[in-house]
Amino acid sequence: MFDDIKTGDLTWVGHETGRADLIEKLTGEATFVSDMELPGMLHTQLKKSPYARARIKGIDVSKAESMPGVRAIVTGDELDYHIGLYIVDKYILAKGEVRHYGEAVAAVAAETLEQARAAAEAIVVDYEPLPPVLHHMEALKPDAPLVHPDLGSYSYVEAVFSPKAGTNIANHMKVRKGDVEKAFAESEYIVEREYSCPSVQHVPMETHVAIAQWGKGDRVTIWTSAQSPFTVRNLFCHAFKLPHSNVRVQVPYVGGGFGGKAGIGIEPLCAVLSRKAGGKPVKFQASREEEFSLLPCRSALTYRIKTGVSAEGKIMAQHMSMYWDAGAYADYAVNVTRASGYSAAGPYEIPNAWVDAYTIYTNKPYGTAYRGFGHVEFHWAVERHMELVANAIGIDPVEFRLKNALKPGSRTLTGEEILPSTGNVVKCIEEAARRIRYGSITPEEEARQKKTGWKIGKGIAALHKAPAIPSFTATAVVLKMNEDGSVLVNLALTDYGQGTYTSVRQIIAERLGFPIDKIKVAFESDTDRDPYDWQTVASKGLVLSGNAAILAADDLLEKAYAVAAEALHANPRDLANDGDKVYIKHHPDKSVRFAAMAVGLALPNGNGIGGPLIGVGRYIAQGLTNLNKETGEGRPALDWTYGAHGIVAEVNEETGEYRVLKIASIFDVGRAINPDLVRGQAIGGMMQGLGTAVCEGYIYDENGRLLNPSFTDNKIPTAKDLPLEVECAVVETPQIDGPYGARGVAEQSMISVAPALGNAIQKATGAQLTHMPMRSEDVWRTLQNKEPIDNWITKSPVGSCRSAPEARRRDE
Amino acid sequence: MPMLYEFRYLAPKSVAELTATLREHASDGKILAGGTDLIPNIRNGLQKPGFVIDIKKYDGADRISYGADGLSMGPAVTINDLLRFKDARDRYPVLCSCAHELASHQIRNRATVAGNVVNASPCSDMAPALLCLDAQAVLRSGNGERVIPFSSFFTGVKKTVLQPGEFLERILVPAASAGVTGRYLKLKRIAGHDLGIVGVLMTKRDGEIRFGVSSAAPTPVLVDTVTTKDSPDEAAAKVLASVSPISDVRGTKEYREHMIGVYARRLLAEVR
Repeated sequence: MFDDIKTGDLTWVGHETGRADLIEKLTGEATFVSDMELPGMLHTQLKKSPYARARIKGIDVSKAESMPGVRAIVTGDELDYHIGLYIVDKYILAKGEVRHYGEAVAAVAAETLEQARAAAEAIVVDYEPLPPVLHHMEALKPDAPLVHPDLGSYSYVEAVFSPKAGTNIANHMKVRKGDVEKAFAESEYIVEREYSCPSVQHVPMETHVAIAQWGKGDRVTIWTSAQSPFTVRNLFCHAFKLPHSNVRVQVPYVGGGFGGKAGIGIEPLCAVLSRKAGGKPVKFQASREEEFSLLPCRSALTYRIKTGVSAEGKIMAQHMSMYWDAGAYADYAVNVTRASGYSAAGPYEIPNAWVDAYTIYTNKPYGTAYRGFGHVEFHWAVERHMELVANAIGIDPVEFRLKNALKPGSRTLTGEEILPSTGNVVKCIEEAARRIRYGSITPEEEARQKKTGWKIGKGIAALHKAPAIPSFTATAVVLKMNEDGSVLVNLALTDYGQGTYTSVRQIIAERLGFPIDKIKVAFESDTDRDPYDWQTVASKGLVLSGNAAILAADDLLEKAYAVAAEALHANPRDLANDGDKVYIKHHPDKSVRFAAMAVGLALPNGNGIGGPLIGVGRYIAQGLTNLNKETGEGRPALDWTYGAHGIVAEVNEETGEYRVLKIASIFDVGRAINPDLVRGQAIGGMMQGLGTAVCEGYIYDENGRLLNPSFTDNKIPTAKDLPLEVECAVVETPQIDGPYGARGVAEQSMISVAPALGNAIQKATGAQLTHMPMRSEDVWRTLQNKEPIDNWITKSPVGSCRSAPEARRRDE
Repeated sequence: MPMLYEFRYLAPKSVAELTATLREHASDGKILAGGTDLIPNIRNGLQKPGFVIDIKKYDGADRISYGADGLSMGPAVTINDLLRFKDARDRYPVLCSCAHELASHQIRNRATVAGNVVNASPCSDMAPALLCLDAQAVLRSGNGERVIPFSSFFTGVKKTVLQPGEFLERILVPAASAGVTGRYLKLKRIAGHDLGIVGVLMTKRDGEIRFGVSSAAPTPVLVDTVTTKDSPDEAAAKVLASVSPISDVRGTKEYREHMIGVYARRLLAEVR
């Protein structure tokens, strides 16, 4: 959908326009599910497991049932619904066995939140604790306890995934390209290293929240803070075996998701409580602590890479083993594994490649999609590895990257040929390097080093990511013209902060030739009203919905022009519009207003023609294929967004403390539909990436209890952590099938921030960091050649500020 | 699971009423000042008082003044009250730099100086300053008043000399400590609000050196054995001899000791 028009010749696309949701967000008028109260609404509290793995011997709800205000209590025993998108492995409430600390075993709906809390406390659960399997590498051992002994009987998407019954492996993804053994034998250098990162939490400002009402005749209405209303409806209907027409899902404004609200979550729980409470609406809002342990997180990763390089510095072969920690349930993690598997080498050409990517069950809170869908984690490994390989063979790391970067004619791991229009990672790397003056220390930097005694280092890391979506992912946009000639846009892609509606509005205004304030995108999404969209994930929203918007605008104009042609006695090909009326190009004085045609045109004699003007645009991903399960061959990528970050950091070698002085982030977005929004995504993602690079991570004790389930000890960065200098820029290699040439950039901004920082720290001090995050202690230990802390499953945690044993009882 | 129960809220309007209320509820009452520790503790089920006694409602509870005796702060004086008080900024810069390191601006609007020490967390940011400045705690109960130097105030993790029925009526920072200078170095995980991994304050008055250390022992620690004649290494050794840090989710004992040493050396080197 790319027309080769220079941005200067476009009116709305490529220019900065205010956000479509600016006023209501700034004034607080925007209504979120958190704000919603319905008549007769009940509130929910949960009874959760204090054990990582235990058999549920019995649940006594008798006392709780008789407590004031209690309208419904449900336990796992009475629910027989399995839920899942890719691998159907989860119950609504734990049944028979709890599989992670913080898992819900019973739920109470009561008239007030306080009554629900009191009743939940009064529920007594009799557990038989079982030995948990906590580390994903331990879970691979033959004698490891099985998290899902019934894995062999679960249903899953068979064309795409490969679970191994009788093990903890929920999926094994393979890539086999070329002859790896031969290429290693011919390599001049071989470098093998292992990298890792822990689980982290998305931390949306609005925690997970839903209201469900199970009405008469099994008609269910759900209001939810979710990314994907149609996927919620679809999975809900599958779980409860309800016709899709019975279920309505509405999503108002959403306070952030970052992947954590991608699939189905707490909606079924609210629905079964509502059903049991006689149809009263039931609301559940997760506490911040529940965000950390009840709701999903990002999977931990261990990644081993072995690389063979020629004497000239060309990569000959690469062997890659990814071990993904799914936690207790693997619904999304299996697809994170798949998407990471086929992108596993980063934006580099690997002529001979071997990838084994495993999704592994453990008794920990489970992993899901998180901005980057695995790419933040494995790029940490790949981009640190590229640095370490370059060091080992004595080439500058940026030169080594440029030498091996994907270029037109290169083939990806799955055999896809890179074309001149695919995007340009070389330009991204070069631009990032230029902007941080890579390879030199400026006189100002020299003076700063002298003054502070801290060493300055500069690092670059590149990245790539394609949308991880089913090969037939589709969406639609509907434009309805209002009586005054303005246009209402309906789509079920949600805008939960990323700004896509603003960009879609610009595209529609551009295509119609209308003033932008005549275009309104309805913010609330509703499966009863809006056309289908698969999910709002994968940085695919702008590409797919943008294309659908173009088609919808074209369709609307075609229908309007047909009416105008009849009214003006003209050929539609001779018509044009000025945003207010349709006129004959060669007789501009002959025209008919859109307002006159919007709901049907009355001819001078009173006859009506046309009818309400509605434009429909449908778009489905083009040319994608399933991957060969044995070799990985196929076409998984709708488009590749390339990018690179350059970081200047200063490090105190004595203490391991460091500061980011500057970051330059460059992305090949094809075309920046709205440069302000690209910048917003770039800075937001960069900060989120920096948080996971600097300090974030789940820490467990040896029994699998999460020790830092809140902001007290699971810190995220604040505005004070912003680098002193932030630069964002785009490279624009138009995507031929992208709307106006655009590609997505929502996730890419978070990818490779951590390795750019790691590379800068290494440049400054020589510290060869291989584990993320890089706390100052980690840097110090690495420089001192001390054993890493590795306290992610720790043997001896005692809190200095709450080391009194009674002070550590929270959350039980 | 957040605990839930009902408690009674009492707001005595005079010191006499407060002492009587505290005496009556010596075993089942908890004092509420800023609430930045008490309320989360109640929410998280760590404390379950039957009576919550608001200490902010009697006349003078929020009084901060400077006079011949020095700086006096009532129990409801917030961290930001202190930071806004000109005499404190001018005469007790050390107190203010520690106060500024405490949590975030929003929390400093609520949190009180008295609460920060009564809570007796090892990572108290106010304690190192009060220790180094020879501050005193004026404690009151139905039995009268007693004055305890902060050097004897803390008895363990979250423990102080305060007896049931007794409250911290005033914090006194002596006039003799006015003009003392110093610097507080606090190691954190993020640049914004965080509990310290370790915190080291060094003060200097008329050639006398003192260190106040947080997050390094069961209580905040005062070290007054270092002299300006000591080398930075000797100073670090003396400070380290007085602390006993542990390993926890924020850092290991080994790193804490290293950083306390680094900070002690760095601070001493700055004044030598």
